[in-house]
Amino acid sequence: MAIIALICLAAGVACGLWFLPQEAVNFFTGHSQLVLYLLMFLVGISVGLGKDVFRKVGSYRLRVLLLPAAIIAASVLAGLLCAPLTGRQLAESVCITSGMGWYSLCGILLTDLAGPEAGAVAFLANLLREMLSFLVIPWIAAHLNHYAAIAPAGATSEDTTLAVLIRCTGEEIVVLAVVNGVLCSAAVPFLIRFFYSLLG
Amino acid sequence: MTTILIMCAGVLVGATVFPERLAKWNSRFQLLLTGLLIFTMGVGLGNRPDFLEELGTLGLDSLIFAAVPILCSVAVVWPLSRRFLEKRDREGE
Repeated sequence: MAIIALICLAAGVACGLWFLPQEAVNFFTGHSQLVLYLLMFLVGISVGLGKDVFRKVGSYRLRVLLLPAAIIAASVLAGLLCAPLTGRQLAESVCITSGMGWYSLCGILLTDLAGPEAGAVAFLANLLREMLSFLVIPWIAAHLNHYAAIAPAGATSEDTTLAVLIRCTGEEIVVLAVVNGVLCSAAVPFLIRFFYSLLG
Repeated sequence: MTTILIMCAGVLVGATVFPERLAKWNSRFQLLLTGLLIFTMGVGLGNRPDFLEELGTLGLDSLIFAAVPILCSVAVVWPLSRRFLEKRDREGE
């Protein structure tokens, strides 16, 4: 799966850079949401086919919050570590990593709060987090465990990276990934504003 | 929110009318769409006006800001899930 993801990504970047005319680029980018919707519908069918998935997930009770809480804490911690590594301000650094892969929102918020350069880094960094997730999820699912495979995805585990998760884990993990993605996504705007006002 | 609603519709279809014998084809089609989605994201990325310049100037910082949160998230979630979630799975068996 990781190799397929890498080939598709490299081919896409090369086509976007050199080979495709602008009309074709517009066609692909304009229909990406439609592809995502169709994919989510099919992932939903897979989940629906696993009859006792929801009973199993319900049995997690409060432990269902463990994954999003850990991922949010780890992403904030990563921001603290990245500040000295990149030489950027602590507030900027924590806000960028608090995006947890939601590049569009994080890029816009950071542009508003800290200027266009910080916004561009936030956009690229969170986009790269999503891209890298496609590549590392299969390895993590195979060598660590299925729960840890949700960790790289962060806020994207409810949409784009969900497709890779279902291929590498199972229906039960997919439902946990959706819960994780919803909670992480809900937290992103609050985390960014909170840490920028606290540390900025 | 729309993606979640569409997925819920898929769950409903899967749980009620979708024939189980087509599950394999559903899975294959998902793989195809996943590849197409990643390709499309790559096209959008490559088509950014200053993509190569941005990658050159901001690329290393962006890579650090992408890789460190992934490493930290896995480093925190893996032991916690082994302690609290895998243990639960073993007890449930």
